Amino acid sequence: MITVTHVSKEFKLTKKSRNEMGGAYRNAKTITAVDDVSFECLPGSVFGLLGPNGAGKTTTLRMVATMLKPTSGNITVSGFDTQTYPQKVREKIGFMTGQTALYDRLTPNEMVRYIADLQGMGVNEFKSRRDQLFDVLDMHDFANRRIARLSTGMKQKTSIARTIIHNPDVVIFDEPTAGLDVMTSRRIVELIRTCREEGKTILFSTHRMEEVKLLCDDIAIIYQGRLFFCGTLEAFEAQMTFDSFEDEFIHMTSEV
Amino acid sequence: MNQFITIFKKELKDILRDRRTLIMMIIVPMIITPMLIVGILKIQRVQLEKAKAKEIRVAFLGKENSSQLYQIFKEGEKIVLIDNFPEDSIAASIASDEIDGAVIVRSDFPSNIESDRQAKVEIYFKSSEAFGSAIKRMTDLIESYDKQIVEERIDRLNLDKDLFNAVAIVKKDVSSVQERIGKIAGGYLPYMFILFSFMGTMYPGIDLGAGEKERGTLETLLSSPANRLQIVLGKLGVVSLSGIISALIAILGIYLAIQMIEDIPADILKVILDMLGFKIIITILTLVIPIAVFFAAMVLSISIYAKSFKEAQSIIGPANMIIVIPVIIGLLPGIELNAKTALVPILNVSLASKDLLAGTINPFHLVEVYFSLFLLAGIAVWGCVRWFNREETLFRT
Repeated sequence: MITVTHVSKEFKLTKKSRNEMGGAYRNAKTITAVDDVSFECLPGSVFGLLGPNGAGKTTTLRMVATMLKPTSGNITVSGFDTQTYPQKVREKIGFMTGQTALYDRLTPNEMVRYIADLQGMGVNEFKSRRDQLFDVLDMHDFANRRIARLSTGMKQKTSIARTIIHNPDVVIFDEPTAGLDVMTSRRIVELIRTCREEGKTILFSTHRMEEVKLLCDDIAIIYQGRLFFCGTLEAFEAQMTFDSFEDEFIHMTSEV
Repeated sequence: MNQFITIFKKELKDILRDRRTLIMMIIVPMIITPMLIVGILKIQRVQLEKAKAKEIRVAFLGKENSSQLYQIFKEGEKIVLIDNFPEDSIAASIASDEIDGAVIVRSDFPSNIESDRQAKVEIYFKSSEAFGSAIKRMTDLIESYDKQIVEERIDRLNLDKDLFNAVAIVKKDVSSVQERIGKIAGGYLPYMFILFSFMGTMYPGIDLGAGEKERGTLETLLSSPANRLQIVLGKLGVVSLSGIISALIAILGIYLAIQMIEDIPADILKVILDMLGFKIIITILTLVIPIAVFFAAMVLSISIYAKSFKEAQSIIGPANMIIVIPVIIGLLPGIELNAKTALVPILNVSLASKDLLAGTINPFHLVEVYFSLFLLAGIAVWGCVRWFNREETLFRT
């Protein structure tokens, strides 16, 4: 379970970025990337954080994963406050981005072992979990080959295995399908579904509306750091004034 | 602690599989150092021998004014004498390498010699010529002629030779061979290992910082239970170790190079090998450790700040210069380890190594050097950890 309560995040602006952004930011010292955002992700369901590039999705996910500290507000993951117990929180989460985020010179086996060791898993627990994952993902054939020599699909499987090797309660996906082909995207979609069936809490960000329809139980729409909608997918669909998600989204944000 | 070890082990495995790191860390210091030392010495020797063996063409004007000097030149080895050379084209001919030098004996020469006065011989040469072999050979021959005339005069006038050598200098050098070699060549050893320890930290440092960002693995690492201190220390440990190994291999390379140089006299070779004895190498190594940690922390800080491998490289490249400057100052004669220079990082390692090799190290200064180095390394590590904790550094856009 993830609870995000009135969370805001400001970043300091450097002189260079002030000049680049110009306009209202020319004299601003900070920029608000996330502005008073609250939502709740429940176990056994998929929560979609929806918004265009630069909306504040990645910042929000990084705050949940304790990589960034909120400027105000608080976040709890599986009951642990991200600022008071960051280590406990990190033990509970798996984090995956669109990049496969792997070490080229390691093998899938070593890569997964590294994360398991960092998570403090025991040897036997690791082995049985690894075998189970390698079976499901059909990874045994290339488990001991250097990652640099693997195909994109194999890398994606390795990335999945390393994300959930420690069987986390919460899995965070930051635009996991960005830049992937249909086949590999489908594997991620399957992973998200499996995680939901296992009762995990899934928080995932995307700007692809069709994925939302396919996967999400609850959604939050974020634009320019602010929350525009938060509720179930059904509730969102019920209040839609346009036929397509895209049109609805553009309409919602056009007033800003 | 466990996570620190996990990160250290993984990073070590990772960089040891990186060909670039291995080349920079092992192959370059192992091969380049001996090649550089042996190569330079060899080229120098070959050039010197070539210059010695070269036949020089000398124009001799005024042969009729001193047949004796002419004879001496004629008998001189590898000299081709040219008579009747026009005086006004001497300068141009030397400049264009048509001849290597010229000797002019004027008409007043015989009368001056006969009346026991000083006679003058003019020589033309080009000082820009490599090794100055023409001027040296011409002067040597004239000096031998001069000696001959002076001896004749002393004998004829029945004078005591001591009249012309009122004071004889008897030189007694109290410095040992070790001291002499240590002071002269000692500067080059630290030059090598300081540079190599820096180069050894470069690739792993960039790879473990900026490389991690570029691969997107930084987020994986940051979302693991390892805290940032453990992450930085694990990485720093590996980068420092790489710098230390590079420096060690550079020392080994120098050791090999010395044994490869053919014409070192046996007694001097023994002194050199004694100098590079176990105790001194260990002491030098203890100087390398803090300096490598400092380099590692510096490189890793830059690397973690950079957005990409390329950016890190472009910042770290010029940093090379900053390191070279104090090392080169350490090579200058007259710069010695004292209470003040012992506090200047890098320079102090260079100077202390020189004294260590020469066997003339002042223990008080050595303590100062350690103090300065450990303080510097400590500050650098502290800075690197703080730097790594900054959100603006890690997620710089």
